[in-house]
Amino acid sequence: MSQVTASGPQSFFTGKPLRLIAASILLVNGMFPALWILFTSLKTEAELTVKPITWFPHAPTVANYMQAFSDQPLHIFLFNSFMVALLSTCTTLLVAVLAAYAIARLNLRYRGLILSAIIAVSTFPLVTLLVPLFEIMRTLNLLNTWIALILPYTVLSLPVCTLMLVSFFEGIPRDLENAAMIDGCTRLGALFKVVVPLCAPGVFTAGILAFVNAWDEFLLALSFNSNPALRTLPVGIQLYQGEFAFPWPVISAALVVGIVPVAILIVIFQERVVSGLTAGGIKG
Amino acid sequence: MTPSTLSITDRIEKQPPAWSRWLDLSDRALAVLLLAPTAILLLLIIVYPVLRLGYTSFFSLSLTSGLPAEFVGLENYELMFTDPVFWETTWNTVLITLITVPGALVVGMALALLANLPFRTQWPVRLSLLIPWALPLSFAGLIFAWFFHSEYGVVNDVLARFGIEGVIWFNSPNLAFAAICLTIIWKTSSFMALIILAGLQTIPRSLYEAADVDGAGRIRQFFEITLPLLKPAIVVALIFRTITALQTFDIPYMMTGGGPGTSTATLAMYIHQNTVSFLDLGYGSALAVVMFVLSMCVTVVYLRIIRTKD
Repeated sequence: MSQVTASGPQSFFTGKPLRLIAASILLVNGMFPALWILFTSLKTEAELTVKPITWFPHAPTVANYMQAFSDQPLHIFLFNSFMVALLSTCTTLLVAVLAAYAIARLNLRYRGLILSAIIAVSTFPLVTLLVPLFEIMRTLNLLNTWIALILPYTVLSLPVCTLMLVSFFEGIPRDLENAAMIDGCTRLGALFKVVVPLCAPGVFTAGILAFVNAWDEFLLALSFNSNPALRTLPVGIQLYQGEFAFPWPVISAALVVGIVPVAILIVIFQERVVSGLTAGGIKG
Repeated sequence: MTPSTLSITDRIEKQPPAWSRWLDLSDRALAVLLLAPTAILLLLIIVYPVLRLGYTSFFSLSLTSGLPAEFVGLENYELMFTDPVFWETTWNTVLITLITVPGALVVGMALALLANLPFRTQWPVRLSLLIPWALPLSFAGLIFAWFFHSEYGVVNDVLARFGIEGVIWFNSPNLAFAAICLTIIWKTSSFMALIILAGLQTIPRSLYEAADVDGAGRIRQFFEITLPLLKPAIVVALIFRTITALQTFDIPYMMTGGGPGTSTATLAMYIHQNTVSFLDLGYGSALAVVMFVLSMCVTVVYLRIIRTKD
């Protein structure tokens, strides 16, 4: 039936020309800003001030990348961002796996209430917590430590990850756990030896989500860590601008360096990320 | 249930050690144990700070003055009413929400419809939606500040190719505001598109085939099949986007720093400024309470919609 209609006058809508146009629009929209920054990062300062502006770098150079690492400790920003994101991801996953298992499996009496509470908490604006968190971190002497960021970042991703994991866990047949428990596993043993490995793709997706959230966060990192040795990438990248000068090629190089790690993650796991995001987005 | 391959001795050997049997609790005790880390984190990082926020907002607490905290009642809130920057930043925040949320919905819907075409290779389409999603907001702010650069920006270059004279985007409050809104719409429409795309893919093809037989055109099919069936996905996406739009910080901070003047500053930026730069925690708290209330109004609507959906 569909083939009959597709060959009619409406075939334009499913035909090749439209698909090509659609693909170009999608690609330009999605990739152009990142590509433009890549092009800029390869231009010399001289080429940048030519008018009319050039689109492709005429004499590509990596000098801007060298300068990005020598002007500011870019490797330290990268290291801080990576460690903070990685540690937040680990704590988020550990806490979320436990909570999601309880919600998915333990026939809780207040299941609906707990889920509502988690959803409600996920909508609390992080900015409003700036003042009290600032005070708490100051009292606990945690300002200018990774922990000052890891704790809020864990909570930032916790609700969405928990909801995602609940839906993944519910897809695993209970019989598998029961069999493991009859073989002598405890419930927690069954969770970590049977359920989590079977849900590995889901757990992994939740992890990527948490990682990207932490990698991207700017406001708290800006407010809680003023120590140069602890700056994360989004905070550090501002330092390239001088009082009057804005060295765009160098900033672009630093941006490219910051985009690459996450871009690699996305390129490798794109299919999984999309399915996880949409599952989390629609259910959460 | 018992696998027959295991002998009795096997199973005795597989008895868990004592510590692990101790963990083999009743369901209720186990539930409490498993939910405890989540509860502790949410209490420490969200609930206590929110209560603390309300409390601090009734005090004069400025770390720069060196004075001890003094109870001032509603003084911080009274100050807000006469503070033009509060009104301006709140209005900017509301305006950004009113412009960029529907904007991202329309663009996201268009992207989702395009991405839903039967492409043979799927990964470029997926990547083109994922890259903007994964790009940090602060990076997007910087990249688009470069885009809108008056001399060397690509936006003015493209305009020039169409014979339109370029403008100095960040010198005029309205143009700067427009540039910020365009950037936010670009950055957030991809996530919108991903959620709508997931919704689109759950619509059975047979509905469109039936409509084809009935002679309904593409446009009627869109309004009578696609939109109604997408409603749940759209509502969820809209509410998420609204809540994050109220918190807008990174993009204007990176693009204009709130300027010219305070014409593109948001409430979140004003909270940050009062707290971190001026160390005026009392007034900063009162401002945050206002944003919290705004955000909770949206959440209440959200929870109500979810409950009616179940």
